[in-house]
Amino acid sequence: MSAPVPGGHHDLSERALGAILLAPAALLLLVIVVYPIATLFWTSLHTTDPANPAAGETFAGLANYLRAFDDDRFWHATWNTVLYIVVTVPGALVLGLGLALLANFPFRIKWPVRLGLLLPWALPLVFAGLIFRWFFEYNTGIVNDLLGRAGIEPLQWLSSPTLAFVAIAIAIIWKASSFMALMLLAGLQTIPKSLYEAAEVDGASKWQQFREITLPMLRPAIFVALIFRTITAIQTFDIPFAMTGGGPGDATETLAMYIHKTTLDFLDFGYGSALAALMFILSMVATSGYLRYTRRSSGRGSE
Amino acid sequence: MKTWKILLTAAFGFAFAAHAWAQTTTLRIFTGGQQRPDVMRKIADEYQKKNPNVKVEVEVGGATSEAQQQYLSTVLSSKDSVLDVILIDVIRPAQWAAQGWAEPLDAYLGADKAKVMSQYLKAYADADQVNGKLIALPYFADSQFLYYRKDLLEKYKRPAPRTWDEMIETAKIIMDGEKSPQLQGFSTAGSPIEGTVCTYLVPLWGAGSDLTRDGKLNLDTPQAREPFQLYGRMKQAGVLPKNIAEIPTDRIRIDMQGGNLIFGMTWGYVWNRLENDADSKVKGKIGVTMLPHDQGGKSATCIGGWQLAVSAFSKNKAEAVKFVRWLSSPEVSKMQAVMASHMPVFPSVYKDAEVLKANPWFADALPVVEGAKSRPVSAQYPQVSDVIRSNMNAYLAGTKTTDVAINDMKTRLAPILR
Repeated sequence: MSAPVPGGHHDLSERALGAILLAPAALLLLVIVVYPIATLFWTSLHTTDPANPAAGETFAGLANYLRAFDDDRFWHATWNTVLYIVVTVPGALVLGLGLALLANFPFRIKWPVRLGLLLPWALPLVFAGLIFRWFFEYNTGIVNDLLGRAGIEPLQWLSSPTLAFVAIAIAIIWKASSFMALMLLAGLQTIPKSLYEAAEVDGASKWQQFREITLPMLRPAIFVALIFRTITAIQTFDIPFAMTGGGPGDATETLAMYIHKTTLDFLDFGYGSALAALMFILSMVATSGYLRYTRRSSGRGSE
Repeated sequence: MKTWKILLTAAFGFAFAAHAWAQTTTLRIFTGGQQRPDVMRKIADEYQKKNPNVKVEVEVGGATSEAQQQYLSTVLSSKDSVLDVILIDVIRPAQWAAQGWAEPLDAYLGADKAKVMSQYLKAYADADQVNGKLIALPYFADSQFLYYRKDLLEKYKRPAPRTWDEMIETAKIIMDGEKSPQLQGFSTAGSPIEGTVCTYLVPLWGAGSDLTRDGKLNLDTPQAREPFQLYGRMKQAGVLPKNIAEIPTDRIRIDMQGGNLIFGMTWGYVWNRLENDADSKVKGKIGVTMLPHDQGGKSATCIGGWQLAVSAFSKNKAEAVKFVRWLSSPEVSKMQAVMASHMPVFPSVYKDAEVLKANPWFADALPVVEGAKSRPVSAQYPQVSDVIRSNMNAYLAGTKTTDVAINDMKTRLAPILR
């Protein structure tokens, strides 16, 4: 920012000033991000005898990680989590894009649509889970009531593995799409109106404008939204926890729910930490995949 | 002269304030949402009246035993001193002893310990002592009973059922006769929660078997299959709610209270709610009896009830123990029985006239509570519970057969209950 000043002395003090200014933020990150993650990995290398926790923890090397690979329940929970990602990320993207386009439409009164977008996003996840649990409840739920009016037998939404998955996925998509829409709406508003006016002059249809202008211009926003959504999908916990508690049996249990159970119910902190570390790795892999893809495509764009 | 007076008043004021400040202890007690925190508040107010130097705060936790424990595990694993007294489920003392979360009470009772403990129902005196250490004191007793619609049974001239098959038959007769699509025959806890452990164990015990025998897992017997077969029969007869796998404990009370249930296998607290809640449609229409059993078997029930532990991390242990001693007294046992139909932990209180007036069925309940059986005692009880309840839940949902459920239970329980 400042004009270059000859002499190393001034340079150094500027660097020192920079370091001082960065220090609080770096310290904060160290305390609230680096330290917990380091503790997590450290704990994951230890084990306690669950029958005699008073004996303290002993170093176990990678035993907890090896245990995970032999644990059917871990694979089942991971598989469920992957299914939720595969279904709810694209689901929320499509619905969110629709909502964003709707909110971006030049209505005379904008607030009802925008409020409708904000409310599901502002609602705590557990509330959303409880609301949908009552929607899908067998005797008194609105879904079975509607089915009944249409002459269809009521369905056991929350005690059949497939239907419970469908019900949970619907709840997650509803909850997540408003966040997606908010991110995409921000992206939509950065697209210059002049592009559409030019397209209009050239005689492009609305669909062509959407495909040739909106989607390409929106791509960075879509990627950011996808990364955020995928990471939260990997951590799916509250909604299935409130709707089924993982049931029937452990059919709808996600990885985050299994970690919660292992640590807070079974007090097996070593194994729980190892599972959490594996989930962390899953998040990193997914995110870096997206990032690599965006870097490549933005590189191509600038050619 | 005037200045002198003001100074003196101020000095007295300060001395008094400092005195009061030094003497007031705030105790924070944790209780579950389903254990009548409103009644706990009234009882705590009573204690505050008697002990003006103590202020009691009541903290209310989740509705289910495991939701409460999840929260408590976080607080206690981090050695937080925020809670002084904690109400814990009768299944927890072994785990609490192993984790070192409870302040052992032996030293506080001293030479009186044997005498004090002999006054309680034996099952609770036993449950609260782990390897000779007193982990908690009993607050209220509980066990499961069969709640039934006295009015409907009289209408169809059926006696209170003794066997499960009799109960299924009676439920069917009434359901066929009433022709109400809302009316369900029999309900018990079926969702994957703690109460569902008893849903499996009660018929198992009723068939004369147990989960372990001589400390070894005992699931290779034909009796181990009996609970699955019993609920299978009920399902076939259409007596069980179709969504039984979604039913948590308190839902049984709600269905009964709304007049939509003929038979319910549930706990003591339900009586008070059915008789006193403003929206209860079944006031005066409910009977309570022993749980049914198999032909040739014997009635069995799960022991429940809640215990008072002093947190090992409390900063006011002496005051907390004093409070717990009072909460675990015949006086408070009686207050709870009258206000909440919480079953007393002292045999003598069952015969109290006021208690019997509020809960006429307590007259026959004492032998049932005395005969109630314990769920497996283990420092790893949460794992044991998880295996039983998730398999029972999966069977009730129809996603596991008896064979698969028994097999999964064996594989997952074997490493814990060697």
